[in-house]
Amino acid sequence: MKFVDEFRDAELGRVLASEIVATVDANRHYKVMEVCGGHTHTIYKYGVTDLLPENVELVHGPGCPVCVIPMGRVDDGIAVALQPEVIFTCFGDMMRVPGGNGTLTEAKARGADVRMVYSPLDALRLAKHNPDRQVVFFAIGFETTAPSTALTLKRAKAEGVANFSCFCNHVTIVPPLRALLESPDLRLDGFIGPGHVSTVVGARPFEFIPADYGKPIVVSGFEPLDLLQSVHMVLRQLAEGRCEVENQYRRVVPYDGNEAALAVLAEVFELRPHFEWRGLGFISHSGLKLSPAYAGFDAELRFDVPGIRVADPKACQCGEVLKGVIKPWECKVFGTACTPERPIGTCMVSSEGACAAYYNYGRYARERAAV
Amino acid sequence: MRVVDVHDDGTAVCEGGVEVMTDLVAPVAPGDTLLVHAGTALQRVG
Repeated sequence: MKFVDEFRDAELGRVLASEIVATVDANRHYKVMEVCGGHTHTIYKYGVTDLLPENVELVHGPGCPVCVIPMGRVDDGIAVALQPEVIFTCFGDMMRVPGGNGTLTEAKARGADVRMVYSPLDALRLAKHNPDRQVVFFAIGFETTAPSTALTLKRAKAEGVANFSCFCNHVTIVPPLRALLESPDLRLDGFIGPGHVSTVVGARPFEFIPADYGKPIVVSGFEPLDLLQSVHMVLRQLAEGRCEVENQYRRVVPYDGNEAALAVLAEVFELRPHFEWRGLGFISHSGLKLSPAYAGFDAELRFDVPGIRVADPKACQCGEVLKGVIKPWECKVFGTACTPERPIGTCMVSSEGACAAYYNYGRYARERAAV
Repeated sequence: MRVVDVHDDGTAVCEGGVEVMTDLVAPVAPGDTLLVHAGTALQRVG
């Protein structure tokens, strides 16, 4: 398949791996964070780390949209879902994310009308087919997903679908990256930038990373060769004493993003003063809410949303995993009390979560090494 | 995803019958390849 097969070529992968070995200083340890959960998934699925020298460490970042939703927002969603007139819609992963009061799947078992959708447009269709019900869409995700919600809201407004609303939990990628760079407990040498977010926002918003923090960043695609090449590009910048934004994913990412997408985001959303992130706490100007022009579709204004705050379970170390401070297997409950079948933390729920990706693929390599 | 048909409202039908909003990359035509996320085409591929 075009755009896939040529980026999974094993021989080219070995060539890139040898170039990486030739680029690194054997006496130095390199720590590179891949921001996006999709990258984490690819890294473990294709064994990308097996091709890297031992002194090149990949650290997983906060770019899994499901993983960063705090438990309190799940409980808020459940509170809305339990209202009798509501059909509550969400992406499949969100059904299993534990709040303090269970999951949406469990709420469905208790009688709530919770339905999985593949897109917000599916939720809008449900609203049109059920005019006597209130259809709420649980919107999550970064700038990649937010345009879909925004376009759906524009369509709802244009068509006058009054029984549709959005429980908005969209977040933006730059503030958590800045928070990580300000964190004293994490030393990073560079970043693999999020490819799909960058299709919308472009690579330009990441210029603060080299400008303010002196770190290189390479926006990367999602196939194994994309990631190997991006790691090589980061390491080459370090070897040459450069730090800048480079775009490895040029086949999809324009440096200035998608102008139409940015315009629709600006029309439909505005920044919240602050938003809570799982494990990262409150981060200023990191979350989106509906703009005044779309306030009529805001589920937080239409329904009584309790605004619950719940501390993460003590045993769960998702926060440290999301900040790259520990690896999934270093969490106390990884693979024992917390598994994809019975997750405690969000990182074990989503396929983009570092814990689930490692559980599904990476642990076998460690088990082989142990033998 | 590869576009196989385009409705009058601009919604594209891709392989597998998946309907995709194309407002951000319009106009599209059958044969175009799109990067799709959550039912919305974010960019053309290639």
